[in-house]
Amino acid sequence: MRRGRRSWGLLVYSVLVFAFLFAPVLIVVLFSFNRTASLTFPFEGWTLRWYRAVFASPDYRAAIAASLKVALATVAIVAVIGTAAAVAVTRYSFRGREALRSILLIPAALPGLFVGIALLSLFIRVHLDLSLQTAALGHIVYTLPYFFLVASSRLLRFDPLLEESARDLGAGWFTTFRKVTMPIIAPALIAGALVVFSLSWDEVLITFFTIGSQNTLPLVIYSRVKQAVDPSINAISALLLLGSLVFIVGIRRYVVDLQQ
Amino acid sequence: MSLEAAPAAAPSALATKRRRRSVLLLAGPALLVLGGALLVPILLLLLQSFVVSLGYGQLQYTFTWSNYTSALQDPVYRSIAVRTFSMGAITATTCLVLGYPVSFFITFRLERARNLALFLVVVSLFTSYLVRLYAWYTILGQKGVINTALKAIGVIDAPLSFLLFSRWAVLLAFVNVFLPFTILILASSMQSIPGELLENSRDLGASPMQSFTKVVLPLTTPGLVAAFAYTFVLTSGDYITPALLGGKQGTTLATIVTDQFIAFGNQPGGAAISFLMVLVFAAVYISVSQTRRYRGL
Repeated sequence: MRRGRRSWGLLVYSVLVFAFLFAPVLIVVLFSFNRTASLTFPFEGWTLRWYRAVFASPDYRAAIAASLKVALATVAIVAVIGTAAAVAVTRYSFRGREALRSILLIPAALPGLFVGIALLSLFIRVHLDLSLQTAALGHIVYTLPYFFLVASSRLLRFDPLLEESARDLGAGWFTTFRKVTMPIIAPALIAGALVVFSLSWDEVLITFFTIGSQNTLPLVIYSRVKQAVDPSINAISALLLLGSLVFIVGIRRYVVDLQQ
Repeated sequence: MSLEAAPAAAPSALATKRRRRSVLLLAGPALLVLGGALLVPILLLLLQSFVVSLGYGQLQYTFTWSNYTSALQDPVYRSIAVRTFSMGAITATTCLVLGYPVSFFITFRLERARNLALFLVVVSLFTSYLVRLYAWYTILGQKGVINTALKAIGVIDAPLSFLLFSRWAVLLAFVNVFLPFTILILASSMQSIPGELLENSRDLGASPMQSFTKVVLPLTTPGLVAAFAYTFVLTSGDYITPALLGGKQGTTLATIVTDQFIAFGNQPGGAAISFLMVLVFAAVYISVSQTRRYRGL
């Protein structure tokens, strides 16, 4: 591979693009440790004051709890129904298999707005009060395709002969699944679950329409941003980032897999 | 029925039945969720777009086209529709233009650092969307990073107010949010180009520029088109970014739909506009699949 002058140009350009991608967020994280409330450089000192403010605030604590509840419920349900659907699509041949695969991917192609208002009008018609549960239902629909993609791509890449041999040796379908399939696909399922968690943790577009009086973390930020400059938003934003990034770093090993 | 028509290992009727039951059991729950929480709501929304709204959430169930005709005839809506879709198209194009060289660099110029670079793109993809919007808010705002810095070094006396609450702010944030996605799609379509193909084109005397325009560009067309469609649809349907950063110029079709639903309780009106939007999106997706077929890829 030649590293001509053109490559150096591309390198510098790419570094600039990465700077553009990361700089805004880094600025928020930096200011979350700033001692004064203003958004000016240079810093006058470091503090954890804004983080203490976040954890002392009942509003923020309730929002963190709400976000966690919704995300965990979403992960639990999506992992079960998504794995089962992935097994059906990758391990059985039947008429309509391609159609089933496409149907399972549809929610990823729809704007959140559309899913949100459709669900809202259903909830209104059947007189279901909006709550964390209704929000979780929206998140389940939204994240299912992503989990299905991760799980089915892992299932496609391992040899079904392993399962067939287990069956031939007399194992029932459940034993085969538990002793052969599950251990092999478990890491991918965990990766999928983490992806679902971070998507749910950060979701605003559908949540806005489907949640009741309790707000999730992103909604609290959304409603507070428009008010005056409030440095605790920097701190809560940094926490929101931490929530989604810890998981992505956790699945680093699979990221290149997801690429393909 | 000829003998050949029967497959060698014809599954017995019982096995077929059992298999069908397994598929149903496995895929059933997911289909049930998508049916109950996506298909039924969408059908209900479609139904509502054809009934009369009495305001404040009250509906009168008589059939009417008026939600659609009044949305299509309203000159304000029309200009907002043009603004919305052109913002989507401009964002998607900007992402492609900015992202293409990065994907090219990652795929063809990096070796050991390639996975690290791709990982960084994924990290940025999963960096909270709302936090990024808020970040631009703090950077561009009246008391934001840029204004305070410019004031401190004496370039300006009063804060520049046009930075925030403008179409430029919305575009900047959109590009920031959707660029990682574009880079990933383009990189994965470039990865499927066999390396020998590029070497061969060089050996046959093609200049670097030629092997780029004749080999790389055509083979990445499906990626380009897919990234464009995805970015176009998701930016055109977004109401949070324009609401936070767009100010008065920020009204989009999505904002109108939201207002109709939440503020005015006019679900039929909002539903009709949202279905008109979905028609545009469907047209974009269909033309994408046409390009793929045409290319034979």
